Order: sequence, then structure tokens, then C-alpha cells
Amino acid sequence: MTPRRVVADELELGAGLEVLVAAALEGVAAGEHLEVQVGSPGIAHELAAWTRLAGHELVDQAASGGRGAQRVTIRRAGTRRVLGDEAPPRAEPLGADGRLGLDEVRAATGPAPAHAPPAGGLVPLGAIAEPGGVGGTPYHWALSERDRLWARELALLAEIAAREQWDATEDVPWEAAAGLPDDVERAVSQVMTYIAQNEYAAFYVPARFLPQVNPQYAEVLLWLASHVHDEARHLEVFTKRAVAGGVRSHALASTELSLHTLLEEHDFSNAALLLNVLGEGTFLDLLRFVERHAPDAATATAARLAHRDERRHVHFGIAHVRRRIAGDPDAAAALVAAAEARAAKLTSLSGISPLLSEALTLMSARSRQPAEVSEAAAAVRALLVTMHDNRQRRLRAAGFDPATARYLSELHTPNLM
Amino acid sequence: MTKLPVLVGCVAYHPRIVTIWEGFLPWFERAGTPTDYVLYSNYERLVDALLAGEVDIAWNTNTAYVAAEERIGGDAQVLAMRDVDADFATVIVTRRGEAFGHPGELAGTRLALGSRDSGHAAILPLHYLAQEGLDAASECELVRFDTDLGKHGDTGDSELHVLRALREGRADAGAIGDATWALLRTTAPQETDGLEIAWRSPTYYHCNFTALPSFEGGRAWAQTLLTMSYDDPSVRTEMDLEGVKRWLRADKSGYADLTAAMLAQGHLP
Repeated sequence: MTPRRVVADELELGAGLEVLVAAALEGVAAGEHLEVQVGSPGIAHELAAWTRLAGHELVDQAASGGRGAQRVTIRRAGTRRVLGDEAPPRAEPLGADGRLGLDEVRAATGPAPAHAPPAGGLVPLGAIAEPGGVGGTPYHWALSERDRLWARELALLAEIAAREQWDATEDVPWEAAAGLPDDVERAVSQVMTYIAQNEYAAFYVPARFLPQVNPQYAEVLLWLASHVHDEARHLEVFTKRAVAGGVRSHALASTELSLHTLLEEHDFSNAALLLNVLGEGTFLDLLRFVERHAPDAATATAARLAHRDERRHVHFGIAHVRRRIAGDPDAAAALVAAAEARAAKLTSLSGISPLLSEALTLMSARSRQPAEVSEAAAAVRALLVTMHDNRQRRLRAAGFDPATARYLSELHTPNLM
Repeated sequence: MTKLPVLVGCVAYHPRIVTIWEGFLPWFERAGTPTDYVLYSNYERLVDALLAGEVDIAWNTNTAYVAAEERIGGDAQVLAMRDVDADFATVIVTRRGEAFGHPGELAGTRLALGSRDSGHAAILPLHYLAQEGLDAASECELVRFDTDLGKHGDTGDSELHVLRALREGRADAGAIGDATWALLRTTAPQETDGLEIAWRSPTYYHCNFTALPSFEGGRAWAQTLLTMSYDDPSVRTEMDLEGVKRWLRADKSGYADLTAAMLAQGHLP
């Protein structure tokens, strides 16, 4: 068999010679020869040394042609540069229509495994793991069961989240926050402070699951990362609105108590029910109310932008819980038990904080005329009814029967989140 | 009854030596050849330890091996070496465009050498240049960098000094190991900037595992070592650090030049 041949001419070691030769050796079988034509004895000498260091064998080094040119013959060694399975042959390209969704990548690289190796490394979809990386200190991914994490349209949700990012510095007409009467600004600030306080919980809950998810479930990671990023922006925008009018309000102890129980939930699906379906679901109605009744465009815009994100979070929660209930006959009972356990810790909360409901009312009232205050108070009472109705609707969509949906909605924290 | 481990002596020329042997030990244990290691600060102490029976096997430079062989009386056991230790060579480097046609042309120039106890960067260059008819010690101005004496050039530090002297015009030619050159070219190209290889010496053997003739476990230990595979993820990192892809059976055929050179240059009693 004629040896493969590479012409390197004046290319030197360190300037690309070793790259050219290593690439050519990839196409040479172990034990076969590669001839390299180089421009000078000095280059031939350094190639000879590189050959030995790379584990191959120098077979011959001889003058070849004029002006100092040399031919170096290398026998390829059998050692493999990378351990692990061989890469498969090249497949059809992806993204032919100009967009490449993660679902297409998943379809090309194989389905998400039902059980991912809990000690597996950081291996991207489609990549072949080289063994030996971390040796004695492997990973221990706590969340390595697909069905405990998955939801329909998971990848799509993460992609929409990336597309719908917004900017809490520029996308809100902050100048509109100035000039409200003192009592209205105090009411707005209290509502905004309350929402920002809640957004912290919505931030920490997915953030704590994120580093526990097995790298094999890239869709879950992308989703949780987008969730965390959304909440970071929410706590940013509501914090900004809370202080933008020059007023400072209270982070309420009753809210703190309620949120703390949410942070104590360590099961992924329980958290999806309590945070995404019940908490953020209830907030959808709250944010819509704020948008509609806000006395200024800055507040209304902040609520509208956050509402758009929360819809995705709620959609994920419903899809995940529905999948859990459909796939596991014991799941529904376990989820109900989690809601009951949380409610048991919140017996000291007897209703929505008066400070919050009063602030919502004063924020919404167009004046301090009794008729208008009465109208605003009625709107807040109607909001609580709407929240209860919509919670039941979402719980039924998540797979609970109507009686259980009603029971869970009634168990839900008076803090709303 | 548990087997007593084979005790290998090494020189701690870099902290990675600990990483390498701590990685190798479990592999030897699994291979059924329990092994332990002891570190010495220099090769003279290691050879003393071998002669005194403190260690079963010494992981020697070529210079340390020849010194040990001389004291043992020619009966040392040479057990194994790395693939890179076969066909080792010294290169003479010059500034680009100043390469010579024949080593004889170096007469009257300044020749930089690495540590005087380094086989590849000092002892063998003088020997091979003499074979080419150049008595460098008298015909050249020798610019020596004895920066890591006792380590026999293992640290590579004196060779960096040789290259720096060339770049800065403090020497006209310099001797280093060809492996050092290839490694610097691909990982620290600034060290070789503006320089080129002018000449390459005949090849010789470098390091080996040496044992006293009385040590009976040597062959079996080497047999085990030869089965260590670069395709085994449990030792690949350590083999990379040691600069080996395959362990080879060693013999004494690659040390004749160095033995002659050390005798001629007064490195042996």
C-alpha cells in the first residue's frame, strides 16, 4: 500500500506543522506509514522529536529533492488520542429551514434517557463521553429521573423564554412613575414591594433545583435557567418601581412566613405544583389586575411584562404536574399531601394581609371619593374570587378532579404565593 | 500473607511526581504487583539509596544509570523505559539564518550548554561534537547554565536559559534535548522564537528503571509495568504527566556513548 503523503514545505513545528501531521495521521491506520515532505533538515529534526513525543515512530528521515527538502516517514501508533466510543459517521445536517430547535437536536441525538447516570459528566447532547475525567470524585446528580422533571413542550418553552427577554432598565417608561400623589405612591410602593418580595421566592426555588439536574436533561436545564433569569428581572423591575417614587415600604412578615414554606419544599414536582401552578398562577390574576388598575404607565408596563413571563411558568407547571399524574397513580395523592403539609405550617395566616388589600384598593381608586373607594374595594374582592376560580381551572387542567381542585385552591396560602 | 511492595525511588524534580506516583500506585495494586515510592531530592542520593538497598528500583536519568552501573560493576538490571526514552537526541540550536553546515564551523563561537550533569544538554553534546571533530571545550567559549544540578536536566530550566542566551545574543549556538525543543515549540513558542535547529545528534537512550543484580522481583515488576495502557482512563493523566504513551523493555545498548562521554569528561571515578 502506498503511504499517505503530506506536503508541509516550510511549515514549522508550533506554526501548524503538528496540526497538519496530526490531522493526516487521523486518516492512517495503526501501523501504516505517513510521509511528510518538509522544507529543511531543521524542520525534519523537530518533526522527528514531535513524532516520538506523540507516541508514533520515526521510520526514516532522508533528503528529498533539492534545497534541503526532506522526507520524514512516520509509522502511526495504535494509541488512541481520545478514549470512549468511536464517533459515528457524519449524518444529515440540521436546521435546513434556517431555524434549529432543541427538539430537532434531540431527535437527531437520541431521546432523553428515562434514567440518566447520576455520576455522569458534563456531556453535551450528541457528544461522546471520554472516560477518566474526574477520577475519584464523580458527580452525584440528585435529579436523574426524566419523568420526575419532564413536561411536554419543555424545549419550546425555553426557546420562547429566550426570545421574549426584555430589559427592566429601558423597556419601562420610568418617567411615568414620578408625580403621583403621596398616598397613591405609598400604595403602589407597598404593592410593588410585596410583589418583589414574592419574586425572590420564585427565583430561589428553581435556582436551587438547577445544579441538581443531570446534564443529560439539557431541556430542563435551559428551562430552569430561563425561569431563574425571568425571576431575576421581575425582582429587579418591581424593586425599581417600589422605590422609584421615593417611598420605602415594608417587606411583610406574613409574606415572609408563607414564602419560607415554599423554599422548604425540596421535591421538584411538589414545587412545580405549589410555585408554578398555584403561586404563579394566582399571580397571573394579580398582575393582570395591577396592569389594569395601575395609576401610572410604569407600574402597568412592569406588570404586563412580568405577566407574559409568568404565563410560561404556569404553563410549565400545569404540563409537568399533568404528566406526573398521568404517569404515576400515586403522584396526585403525594402532591395533595405536599399542599396539605404547607397549609399546616400556615395556620397563623387567616387571610390576605390587610396592608396589601388596602394598598391594592388605594392604588386602584381613582380618587378618595367614597364611591370610587367602594368601587376599588369591590374590584379587589372580585380579584380574590377570580383567583380562586382560575386556580381551580388550572388545577383541573393539571389533572386533578374538580373536588380535589377546589380543595387544593382553598388550601392555598392567603399570601397568594 | 500480603506481599511486600516493590519500592521505587524517584527524584522529586517537580510536584507532579507525587501526582504521577499516587496515580500509579492503585494501578499497581490492582495489577497484583503492590508498589510504593520514595522521593529523593537529587539523583546522587537516589543512586546511593539504590546501592544501599534502600529502594528496590531507581527511576534513573541516563546519567544516574551510568553512574550506578559503574558502581555496581556492570551487572545492574535495566528493567524498562518510556517510549520517549528510546531514540532520544540532542539538538544544536542557532538563531534563524545562522545555522552551520558542519559542527566544525562552531570553532571560535560561544556554545551554550545546560546543567553540567545533564546527559542531553551538556555531556552528550560535547561528546558528539568531538566525534564530528570539534573539541568544544577548547575550541569554543562554553556558556554553561548549571541551574538545576542534581536533577540531571529533568527540570528543563537550564535548557530555557540556553535558549534565552541565544535569543539575547549571549551565545551563538546551544545544546538542548530534542524533546525539550519539540515541547516548547508546541506549548511555549515564544521560547524558541527566532531560533532553529541546526544539527541533530545520533540517538541514545534516556531514563530507565534500574535495579541491583540481586533484586529478584525486577523482571516481574517490569512485566507488569509493560501492561500499563494509555487507553486505560485510570492512568492516562499520569502517563501524560510522565510523558509516556507506552512502556518499553529496556536494555543497555543505548548507553555506550554516554558511558564513554562520562568517562572522558571525568564524571565517573
